[in-house]
Amino acid sequence: MAKITKVLFDPIFKENPIALQILGICSALAVTSKMDTVIVMTLALIFVTSLSNLSVSLIRNYIPTNIRIIAQMTIIASLVIIVDQLLKAYAFSISKQLSVYVGLIITNCIVMGRAEAYAMKNGPWMSFLDGLGNALGYGLILFIVGFFRELFGSGKLLGFNILKPITEGGWYPTNGLLLLPPSAFFLIGFIIWALRTWKKDQVEEEN
Amino acid sequence: MANDTVKRTLTVAFLLCIVCSVLVSTAAVKLKPLQEKNKALSTKRNILQAAGLLEEGKDIDQMFSKIQIKIVDLASGEFDENIDTAKYDQKAAAKDPALSIRIPGDKDIAKIKRRAKKVPVYLVQEDGKLQTIILPIHGKGLWSTMYAFLALEGDANTVKGYTFYDHGETPGLGGEVDNPLWKQQWVGKKLFDKDWRLAVKVLKGRVNLKKPEAIHQADGLSGATLTGVGVDNLMQYWLSENGFGKFLIRIRNSGGGNG
Amino acid sequence: MKFLRDFLDRQQSLFKEGGKLEKYYALFEMVDTFLYTPGEVTRESTHVKDSMDLKRLMMTVVVALVPCIIFAMYNTGMQANLALAKLGQQSAFGWRGDILSSLGVAIDPYSFWASMAHGALYFLPLLIVSYMVGGAWESLFAMVRGHEINEGFLVTGLLFPLILPPTMPWWQAALGVSFGVVVGKEVFGGVGKNFLNPALTGRAFLFFAYPAQISGDAVWVAADGFSGATPLSVGYAGGQAAIESSFSWMDAFLGFIPGSMGETSTLACLIGAVILIASGVASWRIMASVVIGAGCLVFLFNTVGSSTNTMFSITPGWHFVLGGFAFGLVFMATDPVSGSMTKTGQWIYGLLIGCMVILIRVVNQAFPEGMMLAILFGNVWAPVIDHYVVKANIKRRMIRNGQ
Repeated sequence: MAKITKVLFDPIFKENPIALQILGICSALAVTSKMDTVIVMTLALIFVTSLSNLSVSLIRNYIPTNIRIIAQMTIIASLVIIVDQLLKAYAFSISKQLSVYVGLIITNCIVMGRAEAYAMKNGPWMSFLDGLGNALGYGLILFIVGFFRELFGSGKLLGFNILKPITEGGWYPTNGLLLLPPSAFFLIGFIIWALRTWKKDQVEEEN
Repeated sequence: MANDTVKRTLTVAFLLCIVCSVLVSTAAVKLKPLQEKNKALSTKRNILQAAGLLEEGKDIDQMFSKIQIKIVDLASGEFDENIDTAKYDQKAAAKDPALSIRIPGDKDIAKIKRRAKKVPVYLVQEDGKLQTIILPIHGKGLWSTMYAFLALEGDANTVKGYTFYDHGETPGLGGEVDNPLWKQQWVGKKLFDKDWRLAVKVLKGRVNLKKPEAIHQADGLSGATLTGVGVDNLMQYWLSENGFGKFLIRIRNSGGGNG
Repeated sequence: MKFLRDFLDRQQSLFKEGGKLEKYYALFEMVDTFLYTPGEVTRESTHVKDSMDLKRLMMTVVVALVPCIIFAMYNTGMQANLALAKLGQQSAFGWRGDILSSLGVAIDPYSFWASMAHGALYFLPLLIVSYMVGGAWESLFAMVRGHEINEGFLVTGLLFPLILPPTMPWWQAALGVSFGVVVGKEVFGGVGKNFLNPALTGRAFLFFAYPAQISGDAVWVAADGFSGATPLSVGYAGGQAAIESSFSWMDAFLGFIPGSMGETSTLACLIGAVILIASGVASWRIMASVVIGAGCLVFLFNTVGSSTNTMFSITPGWHFVLGGFAFGLVFMATDPVSGSMTKTGQWIYGLLIGCMVILIRVVNQAFPEGMMLAILFGNVWAPVIDHYVVKANIKRRMIRNGQ
């Protein structure tokens, strides 16, 4: 049980894929200007990472080492295409906003990294949990970034007015910088700063 | 390792590919109809929104049934009844040299380089009288090509609604072209003056409502002068002789509305 | 004044290590060394080759900025008064109008003092906000990190309001200076470790966050409802001819044009440049190379020409006196911390900034003013440039010494 907790929850704060390993940054910049895209993106990543970890782990003993990366890629790519098709069918307007970034989950280093680093060496159930945990860790950072970007960038959360913007007859002057992708860099930087002040062992040694 | 023999490698690769391709193609084929429907619905939604006919919660297909699609040959302004409206794709036609024209540089105010010869328009008729004309227009803003539906009253002059549904302008600045308040100000504006000359204009700042020409003018977007210029340019192009000009004249003369 | 010294000495034990207020030593030290010469003296043989320390350096910059500050207030007031006269207003708006009329100062664009007074009411509040908010962050980080409050902020806090438009809302200025100090400087470890110019970082933040308040043509003249475009944005609409029809080159050189408060006068910046170069504080190499880089690219654009882009035709003489070119050149690009350190590096760094300014101004339609972004871009490259210059030096010496 302790092992399960560790595998599932360590990637959330202790070994967060974005904050500690600095992986998966590109989509974190691109999809976080609104909360609804954040939620859908996180769900998509949970689906892909946990299932790819599961399937890679299931056939890990049969995959020849010389084609293992290609085999992992094939599985991940198939899962991503399925997610993309599902979103286009059931969440059309959000999939339009996410545009290429669903497809780009294929290149998200977290998915590939977990398949290679964990699922190739561990059993299916633990691999599944590891994928789930890492996707949740990714989702948590996206969630925080998306929360600040949407709230202060457009005065809304999930599309509902919280701070009514001046452009819609309210009082809140929206912060345009937060709607631009680079602002996610600053926010992720602040999160890493806060996290490493809290957990000092994450600070990298200076060389 | 036994796993690394050539035979083993090929077998695993082959099986993996079979399984994955079956999964992917099943998903693609099974979901295709639903996706197509979504795509069509989204276009219909934008058209309804521009025409001011969109009511939340109602079935879009049912609301859309009032709307007739016609293909207009821009060179003559006449309808082309021979084209299957359901299959006609303006974006694809604009890329096809046989179905499009290259716009000479000095006339290309909307900066779109090519346009289709024939363009769909959407009409709403009630009791045999033309109520609404919806024109698809597009042109370059600051960063991106902006796509819009412009809805006119039956007089082919008064704006009934305006919707920018696809653009890549700066969020919060040029991106405000899809702000409901900004779109709302268009309603009731006249495109042409008394002598049927194109008079519509997007200003840099705010419109002075006391001036008589205010009826033709719209507020610019604050902090996004160039997106405003883009909106102005694309209207100047599409409403001119080179765009829907001939078609609009024909509608006006046929007395489709109150004119 | 003896009692003050005694008072400080008595308090000192509280702030020393183990004292009750140990955490606040930085604040104590700041007050103490501001009032008196530091108590510590060098105990071994001295190793000073010049009496130029950081405090002197920063004071020199402040002195060099004085012409710009005076002109900033004068021109801000004069532009506002001219606009009010055009609008037919008899008094200034809001609380500023109340203060001016209670002092009996008329709205007269032709009186130096009337303009100064009006302009000061725009400039000083922003200056105070900049010093108070920026200073608060500075003190906070100094306390947490246990180091002394650095004089560098004296300059940053002064530069920041000078590159803002007069109508900037105070809360936005506060936000901008916070971003500049925290993200532009403190996250990297404070003065000397930052690679971006903090004042420009703050302005860039405001530029992208609240573009409506820092671009366009309604913010440069401090009079509600008056639209006064900067010459550069006039140039966008109509090219050189349009600029010449609304402004004279001499006005632009002297600074009687709308713009960010301290940036309009090229003359005031040049006076500052003379002080900085004569005292050896700023690098003349950077200044020269920015001018050369910009001049060459403008010349190229002038020669190539363009039928669609009106900015191609603007001549070097105009580029140098418009926008933030002169101010950025003299006070920002030469920032000793964020600029290049090596002599060869300074030439490359300057040329890069010079070319970027013109490239942004002429080719990019979205930003009429390129100086801010060009310098920040140069800042980002400065460490790389220095790294390769040093490496090349090492290599050359190795070859020379036959190793």
